[in-house]
Amino acid sequence: MMDLQQALIERIHLGDRGGANALLDAWALESGYEHLLAEVLEPALLVIGEEWNSSETFTLAQVYVAAKVTEDLLGKIVALRKIPSGGQPAKGPVLIGNIEEDFHALGRKMVGTFLRAEGWDVHDLGNDVPAALFVDKAQEISARVIGVSAMMMTTACNIKRVREEIDQRGLTGRIQLAVGGAVFHVCPGLAEEVGGDGTAANALGAGGLFERLWEQSIGKETGK
Amino acid sequence: MNSMERVLATLAGKPLDRRVFAPVLGLYGARLTNCPLEQYYNDPAAYTAGQSAVRETFRPDVLCAPLAFAAIGAAFGSELTVLATESPNVRRPAIQSLEEWDSLVPPDPEKHPLLLYFRDTIRLMAAQHGSEMPIAMVIPIPMDIPAVIMGLENWLGTVLFDPDGAKRVMEMIIPLYVRLVNGFFAAGATFVAMPCGFASSAIVTREIVTNFTRPILAKVLAQLRGPVILHNVGAPMLPYLDLLTGLPSVAAYIVDQRDDLAEARRLVGPDSVLFGGLDCTTIGQMTVAEVDERCRAILEERRHDPRFVLGTSGPDVSWNTPPENIHAMRKAVESFGRIDA
Repeated sequence: MMDLQQALIERIHLGDRGGANALLDAWALESGYEHLLAEVLEPALLVIGEEWNSSETFTLAQVYVAAKVTEDLLGKIVALRKIPSGGQPAKGPVLIGNIEEDFHALGRKMVGTFLRAEGWDVHDLGNDVPAALFVDKAQEISARVIGVSAMMMTTACNIKRVREEIDQRGLTGRIQLAVGGAVFHVCPGLAEEVGGDGTAANALGAGGLFERLWEQSIGKETGK
Repeated sequence: MNSMERVLATLAGKPLDRRVFAPVLGLYGARLTNCPLEQYYNDPAAYTAGQSAVRETFRPDVLCAPLAFAAIGAAFGSELTVLATESPNVRRPAIQSLEEWDSLVPPDPEKHPLLLYFRDTIRLMAAQHGSEMPIAMVIPIPMDIPAVIMGLENWLGTVLFDPDGAKRVMEMIIPLYVRLVNGFFAAGATFVAMPCGFASSAIVTREIVTNFTRPILAKVLAQLRGPVILHNVGAPMLPYLDLLTGLPSVAAYIVDQRDDLAEARRLVGPDSVLFGGLDCTTIGQMTVAEVDERCRAILEERRHDPRFVLGTSGPDVSWNTPPENIHAMRKAVESFGRIDA
């Protein structure tokens, strides 16, 4: 299994989407698609995320390839109705979107793909989302985590309005605010400054962050 | 020495009365003149007034023409959004997939109003300041342009998975780009700075730079009628800097604040000008003392480098940056005094 994961990482590192898909298909032919995500792809994505974060071995292009390979696999699983947990996403629902006045969609889309691969029920609101809409939608679908993306300092500051909406509606703690985007990488402390409950080093770290925030939300509600 | 003399002496590696000071203050001019950005990025006179205010307030050695390349996407049909404190952004790309590429009509650089804005602004700035101040135009390398026409995701996917499609795209972009940039030089741009997204180790692989970016860049640069500065685009430049040396027309490099300046100098060689300095995004969060300390540390490290310039890395200096921080950069440069060749 480790060999397959390593081979998959190498294909992604080379930007070889077709080769990565062929490896996964060959494994699925013998073992089925049911466990492919959890046993092969997710561990490989974890390694890529850690390397991208720690040694910058991976580029945006390679992580984009990883996202496309993930999308390809999710597509096959859905087509074959091989979704774990009886066809329903196992986790969530959660919301993601780019904050008002931000139009840099690529990072958000990759976050959505990687979250779905980890079983989250992801609702993507797209670009240029007003603060109130984030919270309206979160209440409507009972999302415990809102993930808000911004690329630049000025648009990141607009995330404060989401914080205010959450607090003004008495939802502090119940709805957790995840923040991310390029600017958070270069400005340590910005996540706290805009009122975020947490951030991840990159798109591949979003799953772990959402798990933690989801637990925090439940803890707030149950008092544990 | 005036700024033009100082910059020319830096290019030649000759003695200077003081180090060149070149922060990117294109956007900041609108703050100084209290000009709405919708007007600033459409009216050459308004932009030029902003740069006059930048010159008067901070006395930099280089003035920047509009850093607003989303407008190039808009000239192809992309929808723009004008923000209160940022240069325009693409709200919706002109096309949503490569399949639509062949239906695009490329804009004429000599006729399209959004592209004429750049040229007319450079002309006005050069008329008012150009005898004493270098005018820098900023436009990304040609391989970055399709991202503002079809969106970064589509363009990245095309480069990665459809080489023939990427070639078709560049066949339309290259001649337009050469005409556009040579128009900037003809209007009075002293040099053109090119952020290198598709040559950045944060964005693409070394193989893409080697096999896609560099060959096209070499072909384009050979057709340009003026000096070019390759720019870090807000990410470390060192990992691929070796792939960006030896290119025609390139006179200088603006590296990232995280790059090792001595290593950058080693890679680009002694004859190229090297810009280094503070990050334009975070300079506004620093105290004056921190700005002063950081600038002095950089200047001390490069004390014996006659072709080093103190500036800012990344795009424009952020709107919210306190003016005191920019003054602190200049004062640090002035306090270092003469530079011997």
